[in-house]
Amino acid sequence: MSTPLLELRGLSGGYQPIQIFQNVDLTVEQGASIGFFGPNGHGKTTLMKTISGVLEPWRGDVIFEGQRLNRAKARGSRRWRNFNYDVVTPRRMDPKTVARAGLIHVPQGNLLFPEMTVEETLSIAPLVAAERHQSSAHESALHEKVGALFPRLQERRNHKNRFLSGGERQMVSIAAGLLADPKLLILDEPTLGLSPKLRLELCEAIKTIRAAGVPLIVIDQDIGFLTELIDVLYLFDHGSISRRLERAEIPSHDQLMAMLFGEAV
Amino acid sequence: MISLDTILIVTSGGLVLGAIYALMASGLAVVWTTLGIFNFAHGAFIAAGAYIGWQIAHADASGLGLVAGTLGTLLAMFVFGVLFHIALVRPFERRANIVAASVITTLAGATVIENVINLIWGPRSKQIGRMLDGDFSLGPIALSMNDLALVVIVVATLGLVGWFLGATRTGRSMRAVAQNREAAELMGLDVPRLYAAAFGLSAAMAGLAGIFIGSIRFMTPTMGADPLMKALIVVIFGGVARFTSPIYAALIIGMVEAFSTYFVGLYWTPAVLFALMMVVLVLKPAGLFGKHQRTL
Repeated sequence: MSTPLLELRGLSGGYQPIQIFQNVDLTVEQGASIGFFGPNGHGKTTLMKTISGVLEPWRGDVIFEGQRLNRAKARGSRRWRNFNYDVVTPRRMDPKTVARAGLIHVPQGNLLFPEMTVEETLSIAPLVAAERHQSSAHESALHEKVGALFPRLQERRNHKNRFLSGGERQMVSIAAGLLADPKLLILDEPTLGLSPKLRLELCEAIKTIRAAGVPLIVIDQDIGFLTELIDVLYLFDHGSISRRLERAEIPSHDQLMAMLFGEAV
Repeated sequence: MISLDTILIVTSGGLVLGAIYALMASGLAVVWTTLGIFNFAHGAFIAAGAYIGWQIAHADASGLGLVAGTLGTLLAMFVFGVLFHIALVRPFERRANIVAASVITTLAGATVIENVINLIWGPRSKQIGRMLDGDFSLGPIALSMNDLALVVIVVATLGLVGWFLGATRTGRSMRAVAQNREAAELMGLDVPRLYAAAFGLSAAMAGLAGIFIGSIRFMTPTMGADPLMKALIVVIFGGVARFTSPIYAALIIGMVEAFSTYFVGLYWTPAVLFALMMVVLVLKPAGLFGKHQRTL
């Protein structure tokens, strides 16, 4: 069997001093995509932020293409609240290492860089992949693909991010993620709070990205949309994975709700 | 009656002051906007730059000339700024109280720098001396060649820094980190290194300002205290919405100071400047050219 693309082993984390999720184990096989579904406020976003290293994992490992992205040693206790542990202990995980390995996280409601233009934002996005492939031809091919995917951004290229609509900002955010040449792309609620028309447009773009062979981890509240994209669905509540469903087993929205919250009255 | 000549002389004096303030304030603003902290050692950086420049350039010391002195100072101050950041600011990078903690550490750093300067070069005042001799006149405008060179170099330097921040990938990355640290981290940008680079750039700009001040005034270990205060006024007065905001503000402050010194008097000028700052802040709390948030 080939090495899995991503493996989480007993991952736990949260915001000091509150633990948000515990003992998450999961595997993303090469070329596969997975989805997360579950109620708001149960730790999906925190888990994603931990996978990408923005938050430090407390315990457990994140293994990407057979390489552990975090330090082996578990995070020590941080009992003295007012002690600067940052000076005496190295970070368990560095977001830079994660992104450079090719695991790219497009965060929920990304505000991007408000005073930078779309063009400026997209110009720095490929920097992270520059070490992996040094040809500029590859980069311009990526730029072309992304341009074809989001033609609207071409019109907006000289606009500052803060003047974009929520949908356009989400497009810039995903476009920046793609320009980083991801081996695995995390999309955290990519269609949250968008108008129905923009939502459709963005969903189509994400399906195109999937069809082009980019593996995804998608969090979304629309089970129909998820089913079209992914191979395995994880139900996530109270800070841990409660069920793992193969694509064929994914039930309808109502049945899912019943699974998560018990039978409806 | 005020003659046209007087106005021109005062204006050119204001221009030179404005140019130096612009260099100091935009250097201060680079750190402020990128890291979100105020570097109280910026004035001490100015002094350190002036003394390093003197050491390399002056005939009484190494005597390698002003060009070598300037380039050597830029390089030395960049490295110094990076080390200063690593030692005194980076430890608090992930702490919520970084602003308060860095006030103390940068103030402490400033004191140490001033004392080390005193230890190495002594308290006696020094002067780097003019960059160029002679005068320049164009119609009714008359400037010394030194002042003209100073203004030209400041304009070129600020243009270069503006181009760096706007057009190069490293400069854009620096602005990105300033505007949204988490999004920049997720893009794989090396945040600690960009912070250090911002500090280094800021220190190099302070060093250049130090050489300019050393060329027109006497240098003492505490020579940076007054420029720091002026740079603070400029940055707060103009806001930091764009890289150019403190530059315009510096010109205005320089002109106000020159005219106020001539017409109101030297002793009242600081009061005039602070009164102006109060009025601007009451009417536009984010600064004259300010927006709602700090950015670059």
